Amino acid sequence: MFAQTIALFKYLMLGILSRRLLLLTLVLAVLAMLIGGFFSELAIINGSEIVVALVADFLRYALGLFALLVITTSVAQDYEFRQFERLLTMPLARWQYVAAQVLVIANLCLLLVLPVLLVISLHSEWMVGLYWATALWLEIFLLGLLGLLTILSLEKIPLAVCTSIAIYLLAKLSGLISQMLEESVRLTDGSLTSRFVDFIFGAILYLLPGLESFADNDVFFGNADLLQSLAGQFLATVVYALFLIGVCLVDFYRKEFNL
Amino acid sequence: MRRAERPVMQLPGPLLWGFALLLFCQLLFYHFSQVRLEASYRPLANPLQASTYRGISMGSDQLMSYLLAIRLQLHDNQMGRHFSYKRIDYHRLVDWLEQISELNPRSEYPMLLAARVYSQTRDDARLKLVLEFIEHTFDDDPQLHWRRLAEASLLAKHQLGDLKLALRMAEKLAVQPASVVMPSWARDFHFLLLADMNEFESAIAMIQALMQSGAISDPDEQRFLETKLLEFQQKLIETQQTGNN
Repeated sequence: MFAQTIALFKYLMLGILSRRLLLLTLVLAVLAMLIGGFFSELAIINGSEIVVALVADFLRYALGLFALLVITTSVAQDYEFRQFERLLTMPLARWQYVAAQVLVIANLCLLLVLPVLLVISLHSEWMVGLYWATALWLEIFLLGLLGLLTILSLEKIPLAVCTSIAIYLLAKLSGLISQMLEESVRLTDGSLTSRFVDFIFGAILYLLPGLESFADNDVFFGNADLLQSLAGQFLATVVYALFLIGVCLVDFYRKEFNL
Repeated sequence: MRRAERPVMQLPGPLLWGFALLLFCQLLFYHFSQVRLEASYRPLANPLQASTYRGISMGSDQLMSYLLAIRLQLHDNQMGRHFSYKRIDYHRLVDWLEQISELNPRSEYPMLLAARVYSQTRDDARLKLVLEFIEHTFDDDPQLHWRRLAEASLLAKHQLGDLKLALRMAEKLAVQPASVVMPSWARDFHFLLLADMNEFESAIAMIQALMQSGAISDPDEQRFLETKLLEFQQKLIETQQTGNN
């Protein structure tokens, strides 16, 4: 059973690995360094810290989007070319497909963060580079799982990508949205509608990844406790990743395929 | 061999008139484009609250604060032109600096912009706004901002000519506890300014208190204080004698 899952993982992984993937990752890394170089010319002080933080954030969002596109495209092709029907005629359980996809996402994220480790280590201390690469791996992994869930569920690439990005941004901007809703409740003297919307958003937040699940960019500006920050992120990511995998399994098992 | 040229007046009339018209159009166009460019200055918008920027930054608060500071720093460069600081609304500018400082209290950038960049205005009222910003932001983190307050004190004295403000700032530096690590010269500003204001008695009392406190361990600093003490005592006697005569 384990060997079958690994074989499926290898098959799926080979499907997404290409020269274009490598080239695009390198192009993104070079682009990040160019943008960083431009800003280093503008800053009066703390130029190197600003550059490395900017490069890190640029790579975070660029690679996140890239990973999301690769994963959704891969699963969408399985739908399009009726791979699921073929796979399910084999002695494979559906959970094995999900497990193989989780392994693919983990490995894809690893491939994507390796250049990040190099770039950040070149700009900053290697410990900070290592922290950022690990934290980014966790963040992109989470985003990748979100992509897997949405594509399994919605089956269409644009829908899946937009929904994943929306959930990701909603989680990252949850602080701002909560603040706006609180302000709205205050300005309307606690009207029922405002309080209801505030309550609903508060409830939605329970289903989103917490802010501690994301890499902390402030590490580039001070003596942050990297290990503690990473431990918190790791725990939050594990809990949310397991939840997402659970939802993926429920959704995938509910699907009807014409065998 | 140089080719011979016909005199300008011998050229066909319509060509000359046409050329004069085109030249006039060019001059007119340039003039109005300059006026338009001058009028195209976009004033500083009001900043949002620091908490809003914190939300927008999606966790990268400090990076956001630096990017906002750089954006503010580049405000006087618009459409490839540098606009004078006279055009900047300093009340709004100070608002921006305050929000950036609040967003990232550990950053020196807004204070540096205030002390080194926006202090280069010839308008006293604007300079005073900047110096007051430096003075009250210093209280948030004296260890981080003592250099800027020392610079602000000098600006208040030499550029603004407001000795009282300079003295108030210097006093803030002087009364900082020993836990705030800064060189002795920063703390010495206070009595030097007092002497500038002919407040020799206060300056002498301060130096004596400083020497008796045992806080001065550096022999050069000790020597400097002794020299200043003698100098001020001498000046005090001279002032008193002049007063008696």
